[in-house]
Amino acid sequence: MAVSAPQQATGQVATRNRREPKNVFQRAYRQWADYTYIMPALLAMFFVIAYPIAYTIYLSFYSTPTAGENVWNGLTNYTSIITAERFWMITQNTMYWTIVSTILAFIIGTAAALVAQREFIGRGLVRGIFLIPWVISHVATAYIWVWIFHSDYGLVSGMLMDLGIISSPLVILDSTTWAMPALILVNVWKDFPFIMIMMLAGLQTVPEHLLRAAKIDGASTWAQFRHVTLPHLKGVIIITLLLTIVMNLNHFTLPWIMTGGGPASSTHIWITEVYALAFRSLRFGIASAFSVILFIIMMSMAYFYVKAMTAGDDRRR
Amino acid sequence: MAEVRLDGLIKYYDDVLAVDDVNLTIKDGDFVALLGPSGCGKTTTLNLIAGLIDLSDGEIWIGDRDVTDLDPKDRDIAMVFQNYALYPTKTVYNNLAFPLQMRKTPKNAIDERVRKTAEMLSITHLLDRLPRELSGGQQQRVALGRALVRNPRAFLMDEPLSNLDAKLRVQMRAELKRFHQTLNATMIYVTHDQLEAMTMADNIAVMSDGRVQQYGPPEEIFYDPANLFVAGFIGSPAMNFLHGEISTENGVTSVKGDPGWVYPLTPANAQKASHCTSGRIIIGARPANLILSREEHPGMIPGSVYTVEPTGDTTFVHITIGDQIYVAITDPFFRAEPDDPIWVDLEDDRIHIFDEATEEVLREDGLNSQSIHGKKTLQPA
Ligand SMILES: Nc1ncnc2c1ncn2[C@@H]1O[C@H](COP(=O)(O)OP(=O)(O)OP(=O)(O)O)[C@@H](O)[C@H]1O
Ligand SMILES: [Mg+2]
Repeated sequence: MAVSAPQQATGQVATRNRREPKNVFQRAYRQWADYTYIMPALLAMFFVIAYPIAYTIYLSFYSTPTAGENVWNGLTNYTSIITAERFWMITQNTMYWTIVSTILAFIIGTAAALVAQREFIGRGLVRGIFLIPWVISHVATAYIWVWIFHSDYGLVSGMLMDLGIISSPLVILDSTTWAMPALILVNVWKDFPFIMIMMLAGLQTVPEHLLRAAKIDGASTWAQFRHVTLPHLKGVIIITLLLTIVMNLNHFTLPWIMTGGGPASSTHIWITEVYALAFRSLRFGIASAFSVILFIIMMSMAYFYVKAMTAGDDRRR
Repeated sequence: MAEVRLDGLIKYYDDVLAVDDVNLTIKDGDFVALLGPSGCGKTTTLNLIAGLIDLSDGEIWIGDRDVTDLDPKDRDIAMVFQNYALYPTKTVYNNLAFPLQMRKTPKNAIDERVRKTAEMLSITHLLDRLPRELSGGQQQRVALGRALVRNPRAFLMDEPLSNLDAKLRVQMRAELKRFHQTLNATMIYVTHDQLEAMTMADNIAVMSDGRVQQYGPPEEIFYDPANLFVAGFIGSPAMNFLHGEISTENGVTSVKGDPGWVYPLTPANAQKASHCTSGRIIIGARPANLILSREEHPGMIPGSVYTVEPTGDTTFVHITIGDQIYVAITDPFFRAEPDDPIWVDLEDDRIHIFDEATEEVLREDGLNSQSIHGKKTLQPA
């Protein structure tokens, strides 16, 4: 008897928990403490996010005349959006805006990170200066740049005129050709510090001993970057790119304040269009359907984001 | 392969003097161990040789080239790091190929070298794996392979075996030694494990506080330590140190120990002690050179048994003399109870005499050729 008691005890421990969970419920049960921790956040999110989403989905199947009852009209909102040429024009704008902004901000942000990471006199100052665009609010940024681009009083136009490079005021934000590039320029100026910070954080974690090994192995500075730094930063790069893309797809303030979608809708992107449909034209049904389409697109981005975030988890388990 | 010469190396990290005037010549084809306690500057010295950190003063020569101002890649050395530092996203094959690719070796030559090296290390079956899919010992081999794949002028190794379990360490120790012998490579090997240094190295540089305390073959380090630090650091269990005052009565020189014992010195040891300037010496005696007796004999040091530790092959007897505890190694069947009285004799031709003031060893001729003071490049004896 004296011998069997401890055996029983160890037997219990063995059966209780050390076996691979058989299904997702067992696994979830085993992690109940983790779920408890995130429960308050989940509840809050349910009320401020899930409910509006549900209501939006509901509205998207109705026609919403300004006067009178909402009328069920099935998928009509959706079909009318997708078949309209305007939708594809605005999609094109959105892609242009998102892709060019992301790529430029990424290149400049990464370059800034590489500069700011080096040890040189005045590094702190340079880092500080690089951060300025990021700490200015979007609204202030928008108004500053509206003035800079202004054709009569603006800095750009004025300077070029003073220098005699151009003879008549430069039309920028009122030009269907130049308005979007100007917006993208401001957006890149505003966003590159974010990418710089992300990349700087990544760069700090590049293992020193790997760089040393590469130096011994005869790698040039570029080869060290290419074979050690870059592979190490892969995860950070993917996540930063995804975040920046989503940020740009959803970006409202700069285009709305600086051009309001104009001229001739040349700077309208999805999100400004939805806003205009809902709160200018008061076509809530159409706007809701549009939102649902965007929601689906964003969620598929989120899927990749979560996948990138949790990459390697399975190996570790 | 080439000779490596360190000439007055000094390295400050801000205010910390990590390497203090290190002078060493590592002969072509020699396996030299840098041995010393944690923080004594071994890694720093190795990194200085590799060119991974800038030196504050001194010169480094590899072969007939002054490499002091060269980049690591131009020094033509290979290095094995303590934590292996394998490229995590590259397969074993590409890890091995990398140093060759960086040196613009033709592709088929790379392939040949990589496969030959892999074969030598028995890791051919691992070539397609990523480092994280390898065990510690396998990673260690790959790290070694990345160094062996080239024909560098010298190999630098920073505690390459310290992350392995005891059994694997013994095995890799033997393999490393064989590699050294077959390749006839110049190797500088950092370790804090005296067994590794003693078993593998042709010459050992014992370091402490950023200085080389003694440089010579393992036997010399063990049997003829230059100072108290080397004597106490090498050997396990550590050497016993008995402090005392020299006194000469009726032509016989003895040591008067602190707690009242008197130990007569042989003429040879008396001759050594005569060079002592302070009048106080330290007798160094390895545990195996203590002879225990249950009965009192003249000229023995009285003590009492503290505890007895049988280890199988031998027995360690801890003995209290005054307020100090000393260790003796005896035959395996020695048994005693705590506080049993015991008398200690020393093997007089095996003991070392140190000056208590300078902590330097005292020799019969009064010269200490291994004393490392002054700027002199040390050649192993
Ligand atoms: N980057 C650094 N900055 C400041 N001090 C340092 C730095 N690296 C090492 N030191 C100091 O220099 C001294 C020597 O360090 P080193 O790494 O060479 O020791 P070590 O002999 O290799 O020790 P271990 O056996 O623990 O690896 C130590 O006092 C350490 O604190
Ligand atoms: Mg070290």
